[in-house]
Amino acid sequence: MADLSYTKASEAGATLVALKIMGRMMPGRDRLLGISTIIAFIAIWEIVYRLGLMPVWAFPSPWKVVLAFQELIANGKLLSNTAASVGRQITGVLLAALVGIPAGLALGASLTARAAFLPLCRLLYPIPGIAWIPLSILWFGVGFKSTVFVIFFSGVWSIMFNTMTGVQTLSEQYTDVARVYLASRSLYTWRILIPGSLPYIITGMRLTYGVGWRVIVGAEMISSITGLGFLIDDARWQLRPDIMITGMITIAMIGWVSENWFFDWVERRTIEQWGMKTV
Amino acid sequence: MIVEGLGKKYTSQGADMPALIDINLEIQEGEFICLLGPSGCGKSTLLRIIAGLIPASSGQITINGKAIDGPGPDRAVVFQDYALFPWMSVRDNIEFGLEARKLAPGARKDISNKLLKVVGLADFADRYPHHLSGGMKQRVSIARALAVDPSLLLMDEPFGALDAQTRRSLQDELLRIWREYRKTVIFVTHSIEEAIYLSDRIVVMTARPGRIKEVITIDEARPRDMAGSAMNHRQREVRAVLNEEIERAAILEQHDMMVGATHG
Repeated sequence: MADLSYTKASEAGATLVALKIMGRMMPGRDRLLGISTIIAFIAIWEIVYRLGLMPVWAFPSPWKVVLAFQELIANGKLLSNTAASVGRQITGVLLAALVGIPAGLALGASLTARAAFLPLCRLLYPIPGIAWIPLSILWFGVGFKSTVFVIFFSGVWSIMFNTMTGVQTLSEQYTDVARVYLASRSLYTWRILIPGSLPYIITGMRLTYGVGWRVIVGAEMISSITGLGFLIDDARWQLRPDIMITGMITIAMIGWVSENWFFDWVERRTIEQWGMKTV
Repeated sequence: MIVEGLGKKYTSQGADMPALIDINLEIQEGEFICLLGPSGCGKSTLLRIIAGLIPASSGQITINGKAIDGPGPDRAVVFQDYALFPWMSVRDNIEFGLEARKLAPGARKDISNKLLKVVGLADFADRYPHHLSGGMKQRVSIARALAVDPSLLLMDEPFGALDAQTRRSLQDELLRIWREYRKTVIFVTHSIEEAIYLSDRIVVMTARPGRIKEVITIDEARPRDMAGSAMNHRQREVRAVLNEEIERAAILEQHDMMVGATHG
């Protein structure tokens, strides 16, 4: 009797554990829907290819793209070009942050700074990043510097304007507390202004990063002999659409990983932990 | 602390709107003073002027003979909605004033450790404010104020947002801290009960523009039994003084609404 009840209990326990593991491995309904759509997209791609709806020399099958991936990984081109692009992107975005965050803090905190600089910023802001490429080649030549410049100039606005808004929407009470406790200007800036506007700063960095990653390909097509943009453009001369698509997928994956994972991670470590996340 | 002929005017749409008129008050060291008045009477404005956060339009405030012109190390403020920094742990919040005073981390920690115990939050030192209840947040805010060892503790309706039970326990705790630390407290409230329970003297203010209507001394021994007949009697006395002003404030508000309606 005792034995029997024991096995029953352990069996029930085992089932429970198994269910839990399955629950963790089984994707949720939303994720399942998302994955099915992607699979359907690839299936349609394959069907279009099989039916010959597009000329074969310009429209590779999904499998050919997989082979191109293999080829580019094997000859090291994917890695070297990705490294080149990511290096420029990070440099450009960091420069944009280095200039945009202090500028945004100053604009947010000072009415005079806003009156003086906002009109100029509003004039420069709508110029698309791509439009800066020819000028940046004249100034910096072909390669690293000109691409970084274009990323910087197209990205700096988002981080600057967002930081400014963050400072402007910061509760006046925090300023009162700083004054009551006689906080110095630097303590106020580092301990209140910056962490207090962090939700906006992170959103600004997300946008800046996204803008940079979108503009880098265009810049590299025109002004570079390395990078994923160059890889895609160069494939045109070799009539290799499979390489083009490989480059595009790589851009998509890196963009997706960094935009979602990295910034989500930063948010979890900061504003989510502080209960400041509103959106 | 002496307040002499203090006045405050706001300018709105080109017209001068008096908020405070001719406030005269003398407060002894170690006293517990409540500023009591109908909403909008300027009691919070008076507190902010004493804190040095806003300038007075006329008159002056002197503390130990020195006129104040801005915030100072002798005063700390506890705000109604806590005003804790959500990005700092409970401990860092308490140490903020000490950090501003450039105390060494070790010395800061000694003080915050002690105060965490005083307000009963030793187990919450590393938590962030959003994990705390309203009552706990206000304890942190009180500890932050005590950390800089001010002689004057200014409290702006600190328990206004709390439920009745939390409010009562924090009132008792505040009295205990007040006795232990011998601070002068200026406490803004619109609750008659709270004012009678806490203060040595109640400064009753008129409806706007704020004047001092009457200063009532409460000399009953603490802890005060609010259900007892002595306190009941006190409550009726203060209520009688305040009621007129509450009615006047209501009439003023109604007038404002009518003006607003015809203009809007």
